[in-house]
Amino acid sequence: MLTRADLAKYPFLNEASDYIKELGISIDDIASPDFSPVLERAEKRLEEALSKGRVSNEFGNENAEILSFPVSNLILSLTGEERAQRRFALAEAKRAYELLRQESPEKLDYIARTTFGWKLNKIDAQPGKRFYDFGISLADYLRNSVHLKEPKWKLPNRILDHGLVYATREELARLLEEEVRTKIVDRSSRLPGEIPKPLQPKVERTRGLITKWLGVPSHYELPRVPSPEAMPPCVKHLIDDLAEGKNVQHMGRFTLASFLVNIGAGEEDIVKAFKPASDFSERMTRYQVEHIAGKRGGRTKYTCPMCTTLKTHGVCYKPDDICSTIRNPLSYYKSKARILTGKGPKREPS
Amino acid sequence: MNQAEQVIRQKFQQYYLDPKRQLDPPLNPSEREYGFLLFNGKFMVRHRSFKDPLSLLTAVRDLVPSHVYFSTAYYREPTAPMEEKGWTGADLVFDIDADHLNTPCKPDHDNWKCKACGTTGNGGAPKLCPKCKNDRLEEQTWLCDRCLQEAKEETAKLLEMLYTDLGIDNEATRLFFSGHRGYHVHVYSKQTSQLGEEERREIADYLLAQGLDPQLHELEETSVGGTKLAEGPLIGQPGWRGRIVAGIYDILGSEMDQIGLTSTQVHALKSWDRENLLRKPFWNSAKGIGISTWKTLVTKAVEKKSAKIDTVVTTDIHRLIRMPGTLNGHTGLLAMKVPEERLDEFDPFTEPLAFHGQMKVKVKVSPGFRLGEERFGPYHDETVQLPSAAAMLLLCKHRAEPIA
Ligand code: SF4
Ligand SMILES: [Zn+2]
Ligand SMILES: [Zn+2]
Repeated sequence: MLTRADLAKYPFLNEASDYIKELGISIDDIASPDFSPVLERAEKRLEEALSKGRVSNEFGNENAEILSFPVSNLILSLTGEERAQRRFALAEAKRAYELLRQESPEKLDYIARTTFGWKLNKIDAQPGKRFYDFGISLADYLRNSVHLKEPKWKLPNRILDHGLVYATREELARLLEEEVRTKIVDRSSRLPGEIPKPLQPKVERTRGLITKWLGVPSHYELPRVPSPEAMPPCVKHLIDDLAEGKNVQHMGRFTLASFLVNIGAGEEDIVKAFKPASDFSERMTRYQVEHIAGKRGGRTKYTCPMCTTLKTHGVCYKPDDICSTIRNPLSYYKSKARILTGKGPKREPS
Repeated sequence: MNQAEQVIRQKFQQYYLDPKRQLDPPLNPSEREYGFLLFNGKFMVRHRSFKDPLSLLTAVRDLVPSHVYFSTAYYREPTAPMEEKGWTGADLVFDIDADHLNTPCKPDHDNWKCKACGTTGNGGAPKLCPKCKNDRLEEQTWLCDRCLQEAKEETAKLLEMLYTDLGIDNEATRLFFSGHRGYHVHVYSKQTSQLGEEERREIADYLLAQGLDPQLHELEETSVGGTKLAEGPLIGQPGWRGRIVAGIYDILGSEMDQIGLTSTQVHALKSWDRENLLRKPFWNSAKGIGISTWKTLVTKAVEKKSAKIDTVVTTDIHRLIRMPGTLNGHTGLLAMKVPEERLDEFDPFTEPLAFHGQMKVKVKVSPGFRLGEERFGPYHDETVQLPSAAAMLLLCKHRAEPIA
């Protein structure tokens, strides 16, 4: 079904991996001069993906095309930079989409089945103005469509017939783009132990590219709490200020720590939130957090100060609509978390 | 435990101790988490698991919970804390409950009270207190024929869509009466067990037609030689397309009052032959009816044909749900399996009755109701001798106190 030219177009296919296996190439071969076109192409893939978010097509040297893809992937994994991996996956997936949308229904059907394990039917139906080549099984459709935000992908706007979602050739290609993206991300997160010698300079160079195009990675991440998006404006602002190394007054620190303790963030995560502060002392912070959590001293767990208090101390920051319905940042969090999860008021199990 | 709870618990215990008693546990029972809400201080025992139905029954006899739940999810370690359970899949579940239906009888039998400011009202509780915007509202609900009939109709629509649109095999579905104001449908299938929350939300949105855009179903205005034509989907087309047209067909055969159309529009539609919908993709031949009127009709059709499920239940992949074969502590009625082909004839006020004999209770206030062939109430501050099922219903709904 697939030619070598196809593998060059779609180097993420299972057949492409099989093909490479058959060539019997090992990682040490990378250093040999025969391999330089592959390395060059691999670096170009990375550079284009990082700089433009696109990867161009080059079909002159099919083997280099097929082999460079896993090499790019490997280099990227070795940098350990997740955001770069995501950007690369997206760029490669977009490239694949542009090619896939021009393929015959038979080839699309084949790729969807063999590499991605989809269940789909060729249907050739025209229920209205549009012609649909495919009926895609509901689960395969949904796994990918949930990432697509245009209204036309929403299930109520699709034709759903006995478990099959009708799709045009173009739409199938778009859904496959999502599948390709996921596959590449999964693949690059499988990291080998150490950096093979011949790749070391490449990995270094790629790190440089990442910094150049994506900026310095922020060492700061949101604390792992059940629903970080549900934090009130004041708390988000405190976190931002700390992250930027600004000085945060005692009331602000106490608010942040007591808020995080009460929504169930782990001690490690809370301490981490204070790390960027210019006067950070791990020992003091830990002591204070434990105190607030009620593990020390009076053994009472502190709750978060009321909004009125926070307003007086200038901690309240850009209150929004939800703020007008609550009196404490903790109720803001609960209320917003419920809105975000579409849960509405609390209820018992059904 | 107050006195009423003690009496209820005692009755529940007798019920469960009956040697003939059998529960109706879910498929792969040992991979589930079980939860019991106890009478004692409304305490929830969670993260339990059982090897087999018998040990489960033993636990129920032992604890005599007011509610028995199991997880829709399957876990490698059902007894571990939530983050360590090892989710391996979940049934796709649907909950249809009169709580979410807009039945006209609600003001007659339901009322609510704001816990924060004390405001009260009749009918189902609003999302937020209209006065103080608090969401801590206490609801007092009642079961009525009309509400349960509507819940049944919604359930029938749900099942129809599950089979014809989602392609779910009817071997893979189980239908339950919840023992209160609604029905649950469980789907056990490989195709759906791996779906995540977002995917399940899409399914819920589909059944509710939430976000349905008529234009994306090819309801459009086109222009032929300067004349504007409204063009839409055809009856018999799969999915929402055919269903929209069928809904409009029904509406056109009705009185068409209160659907947001002017009397001129209603008149124009009434004089139009609705059989046109069965034949042509061109809807324009109704004079004076333009694309915006058709859109209004689509909205109404979708409202009629969608199944009013509770999205939260369907999207939650860690949910606990009531176990059939157990008593519902809100009513004393049995949560029970209903064969799908019997849904129509199933009487939720007869088949799930679990208690026999007579009991004397002092009723505070209660709307009228029916159980079996008999009608009861309304009651107001009176002591009555009732069949146990009726007395238990009043006790469970906090409408009455036991008399020693
Ligand atoms: S009103 Fe309360 S929750 Fe909102 S920003 Fe101010 S302090 Fe924070
Ligand atoms: Zn209120
Ligand atoms: Zn009612």
